[in-house]
Amino acid sequence: MDAIVTEKITKSFKKKGRRRFLSKVESDETIFACDGVNMRIRQGELFGLLGPNGAGKTTLVKVLSTLLIPDSGDVYIEGINTLRDPIAARKILGVTTGGERTLYWKLSAHDNLRYFASLYGISSQEAEKRIAYLLDIMELTDKQHMRLEKFSTGMRQKVSIARAILHDPRVILLDEPTLGLDPSFSRFLRRFIREELNQTQKKTILLTTHYMDEAEQLCDRIAFMNRGRIVVLDTPDNLKRSIPHEEVLELRCVGTLRDNLAGLEGINRSYFTYEGGVTTVRIHADDTEKVMTSVIDIVRKQARIISAHVIKPTLEDVFIHLTGVKLTDDTGEKGE
Amino acid sequence: MRRVSDIGVIKAEVTKYLKILLCYPMELVFWCVFPVVWVVPFIFQGKALVGGLTSQSFARLTGTDQYIPYVLIGAILNTYVMSALYGMGESLRSESYWGTLEIILGSPSRRVSILIGKALAESIMTTGYAISQSIICVVVFGLEVTVGKILPILLVVALLICGLYGLAMALAAVTLQIKESHSLVHTIEYFFYLFSPVRYPVDINPYIKMVSLVIPITYALIVVRGIMLLNQSIETLWRNVFILFIMDILFLLLGFATFTFMEKRVRQSGTMGHY
Repeated sequence: MDAIVTEKITKSFKKKGRRRFLSKVESDETIFACDGVNMRIRQGELFGLLGPNGAGKTTLVKVLSTLLIPDSGDVYIEGINTLRDPIAARKILGVTTGGERTLYWKLSAHDNLRYFASLYGISSQEAEKRIAYLLDIMELTDKQHMRLEKFSTGMRQKVSIARAILHDPRVILLDEPTLGLDPSFSRFLRRFIREELNQTQKKTILLTTHYMDEAEQLCDRIAFMNRGRIVVLDTPDNLKRSIPHEEVLELRCVGTLRDNLAGLEGINRSYFTYEGGVTTVRIHADDTEKVMTSVIDIVRKQARIISAHVIKPTLEDVFIHLTGVKLTDDTGEKGE
Repeated sequence: MRRVSDIGVIKAEVTKYLKILLCYPMELVFWCVFPVVWVVPFIFQGKALVGGLTSQSFARLTGTDQYIPYVLIGAILNTYVMSALYGMGESLRSESYWGTLEIILGSPSRRVSILIGKALAESIMTTGYAISQSIICVVVFGLEVTVGKILPILLVVALLICGLYGLAMALAAVTLQIKESHSLVHTIEYFFYLFSPVRYPVDINPYIKMVSLVIPITYALIVVRGIMLLNQSIETLWRNVFILFIMDILFLLLGFATFTFMEKRVRQSGTMGHY
């Protein structure tokens, strides 16, 4: 039996058109956050859902977690139809969505967990044992009686994950669990999700993220989501093998690029990201070596090149190849 | 699969509420004192109008010439109205602001136990405020409270709370959808002030008296003032107690039905987590 099954999930929202006084300037628009989503996640699988902001990932997680009723379609969590029996589904589901903003900052970590334990029907004795175990594993035992308002974002996110798994759910939905965390907390949580929750405790996990390296590092299978639809679903390796380019040219430079590199002969697509004042340009070409010299010549006229590499394609390259859309906001893209 | 204990949820909800409230001590002080202070201008106003603290016209309408205890009882019981109107909706709004509302409503516990927990927590705090206000009234204004009268008064207050929190659930449900309840709450609050005998006897105007019959605090005030100021027994006031009881059932049913309906609506519209 599959742990999570969605059958033609559709969820639309009405975006009201702009109005000036009493007259409409723009007409209302219907946005499909989920548009016929079909997905099957196996028991014990760590499944990644990747997509840019607004792709519909959070909407899908909310539908799966019974917080949102879809317009049409069905959701099954370990065989339970969530629309017919949401209470039964909630008992076997653990959800983190909204990150650190899902806790009471005026209460301590321990008090927060005690409260949520009651909502899941965990007895006082069992709750204390479980809380002690989770706080220990999250390395928060010595801070358990401190108010959350004094915690760092990473520490609060740890408590949030502890809350989600407090009732020992069989299926866990993690919506952007490492968003905004510093590298050490992210590393800790990724290791915890993969090794403890998935490999040791055999939990089925649905992870949404727009960090490709996180998805690549953690997930058994990945679905790319864009404009409410699942674009492709496969293992990370198969996804990377699915694009026609075996290599990608990556240039890192300081300065602003003005020219459209995609206009050059032999280049199918180019896109760039900015981080810490450094621009990274990635070029998809039929023959990388052939275009390298002309690309370097153009870039050198506009910016100072720090490094140039020919590398294997990443999931971001696959996503751009398939959708023509970037995964992250801080990217620019120039395509065919 | 384990069954979620309703008592456990109610207890947890009350504990959480009180712990968070204790983080704001100034709010506690405010509610312990404010409702009594709020009444003082009306006492002075009455005194200025009739040139003293007794009036024959007032005595004819109410059966007692004790104006100060009359308005103080109104003010103390009105604390429960304020708490019900503002508290529950504000509590849900705070939950959605903190980001915890979706987590609570996404848990397998029953909505009714969460709401009862919130209502009970509000009632406990409001009773604390009412006790402190009563102490101020006894010490400063010389209000007389006889120990033997406390039990029937508590019964009436308990009945009042049930009805009011039914109404509060309905208001909280509306808050889930519109995310702002102040304008609606203010309207109801002023409707209650105008049409119930909180500050003045409604017998003064036949239309006001007629409307006051659908407001639960009207009956609670008749009984409490009857016991405290007119030395009437609860047996002679049973008709008012019975009406209050029937209103409780109606308000609770209305409140829970509205909440269930609105919760489904926000789960469809996807606005549960908005604030």
